[in-house]
Amino acid sequence: MRSLNPACKFIGLLAATFVLASRRDPVWNLAAFVLSMAAILLARVRVRTLLLLLLPVALAALGMFFTGYRFAADGSMPVRADIFLVGGSRLWNGMLQASRVLAYAGLGYAFALTTDRIRMVRSFQRQFHVPQVFAYGLLAAWGVFPHMAQEFRRTRAAFRARGIRVLPFSPALLAPLLVKSVRWSEELSVAMESKGFSGKAVRSDFAPIRVQARDWAFLVVCCLALPAAAIWL
Amino acid sequence: MSIRFENLQFTYFEDRKPVLTQVSAEFDASEVTVLTGASGCGKSTLLYLAAGLYPHAAGLVQAGRVTVEGQVPGDLAPPERARLVGMMFQNPELQFCMDTVRNELIFCLENLRTDPAEIEAKLRAALDFCGIAHLEHRTLLSLSGGERQKVMLACLTAIGPRWLLLDEPFANIDEDSARAIAAGLGRLHRERGVGILAVDHRLDSWLDVADTVRVLDGGQLLPDVLDARNLDAARLEALGIIVPGASYAPSLPPAAPGDVVLELRHLSLRHRENAVLRDVNASFRRGCIYAVVGPSGCGKSSLFGALSGLFPYEGEALLEGRSLRKLRRADLGKIGFVTQNPQDQFVGGTVRKEILTSLRKDPDAMARSEEILRGIRLWRYRDISPYMLSQGQQRRLGVAALMAYDCRCLVCDEPTYAQDRRSTMAIMDALCRLARERGVALIFSTHDRQLARDYADEILELKEGTLRAVAEPRV
Repeated sequence: MRSLNPACKFIGLLAATFVLASRRDPVWNLAAFVLSMAAILLARVRVRTLLLLLLPVALAALGMFFTGYRFAADGSMPVRADIFLVGGSRLWNGMLQASRVLAYAGLGYAFALTTDRIRMVRSFQRQFHVPQVFAYGLLAAWGVFPHMAQEFRRTRAAFRARGIRVLPFSPALLAPLLVKSVRWSEELSVAMESKGFSGKAVRSDFAPIRVQARDWAFLVVCCLALPAAAIWL
Repeated sequence: MSIRFENLQFTYFEDRKPVLTQVSAEFDASEVTVLTGASGCGKSTLLYLAAGLYPHAAGLVQAGRVTVEGQVPGDLAPPERARLVGMMFQNPELQFCMDTVRNELIFCLENLRTDPAEIEAKLRAALDFCGIAHLEHRTLLSLSGGERQKVMLACLTAIGPRWLLLDEPFANIDEDSARAIAAGLGRLHRERGVGILAVDHRLDSWLDVADTVRVLDGGQLLPDVLDARNLDAARLEALGIIVPGASYAPSLPPAAPGDVVLELRHLSLRHRENAVLRDVNASFRRGCIYAVVGPSGCGKSSLFGALSGLFPYEGEALLEGRSLRKLRRADLGKIGFVTQNPQDQFVGGTVRKEILTSLRKDPDAMARSEEILRGIRLWRYRDISPYMLSQGQQRRLGVAALMAYDCRCLVCDEPTYAQDRRSTMAIMDALCRLARERGVALIFSTHDRQLARDYADEILELKEGTLRAVAEPRV
């Protein structure tokens, strides 16, 4: 999964989400979720990280299950519930809603956890022709995100050092962060320019991200085979 | 082969006093020139103009022009400009846009349309030149300030401009690393003919490399061209420049050690897989001054970060016998922090509010804030945002704001970073007087050994994760 071309991976997984959206079938959703988890684990993502990320998803799925269970519309069910050996349409509807959450989260994580951000931006730039000023601006902004978390802690520590306790989302705390982020963007753009970066100039490409046979195979499975199966099955 | 300033006048705001007035000078590529002067005198601005970044990014050229080898740098496209002039900035945190050292170097070389087949060799040569081959696959976020400066130098080495403009390049690097990099820059100058114009408050690291020293004073370049190999100490002192190897000669009242206010017991800290601190044990007494020294990246900022609650640690840090982790609301603020980057500690919307925050329990706060701001020469900036001050001015404000606060222990991370001699002495004298008069335990980190020797009662060296006294305590 890691070695797939990020642009192809993105299109393939997006196609899969459309297929799932067109089906009202928990089996398909759960199959997508299981396959996503398998792909993530095969890409050697730490199990602890994955479990932590799945925690809010599980809560959302649980919430959706009870929502589906409570607000089921029996007459509108497109398939007969008894085929799938579940007790009634309420349970069926609940499972459908919950499994959708799992399936979409699984596909999203399969992309996010197995894709290197630098490769992704380079791939989008090459395959989708994203303007380089946008692509590298995005990368620079991405590099600032870890700083933001650190800056948030630093700013809180600064208030604490003056004997002031502030709530996590206090405007007093967010104002310095806002000022800093504007200044960071200015300094970053100046630094990038001083290193020869220009939004218009042609750059060389040290390791071009190309579309290979395995990427085509992935696209064929996700964009052709999967929709075909969804129609026939 | 020169950088030429012709009657240059520059201002950041049209309705304000110019930062640079009638600056005329020519810096020849055959010489390594160090430009020095007081904080906020316009040194960095001059470099930004020579790099072609100003006035595009900020400010207004009111008169005159700058040319580098006959070309106006601001008129060139960024890749051509980067080949002509490379610049290293003061703040090492915001100079990169990629995730790892390797990717950043590749980014630089790709910008210049370097043949992909040559990129690997150029990247390696730059890393070896700066002695940071071991950092190649490290993420930039995990590097210390000093290491980031070395990476920035590696980027400039890889780009290979005809001129290198360096803005306080060693401010965050220990003395040994600074001398090593200065020697490398000297080699670059001699062997490849790269012109070097550097801005620095400290001349120590440049003594073996620089040819001339020029002084900028109040936005004007003084006519004196000082020979870097034969510096006149009296002349430098008169110009307010830090004299290499000269004592700061502080006049401090004798120490009267009080009770232990801060105690570290078996403190250890890890950043991901790396053990940064291992079993640090130390105690700090009221009224005493402690200097923490150590090479770049040894963990000084991490130690202070742990005390301020930024990083989780093992072991105990006790403030007046109470764990720092369990400080009560009333005890918050008993330990104050002056951070390496002064912007990290600003909490007020204006310069004056920054001081007033510390004085909020003082009934005479308005008058005292005026007195403090006049004392640090920032009264006229009282109504602007602290972020709009120069870095040197921000540092003075940060120190003054914490000094106004009534704390028992003051931890200062590089309090004299990027300061000229006069400001260095003013800051240290004020901090040390505070320690003596109010019985505050003052702990400061520095790369300036002379500063540590002159001001500290005890010098502690952080090496291989542990803290050891390197000299007999004076008290």
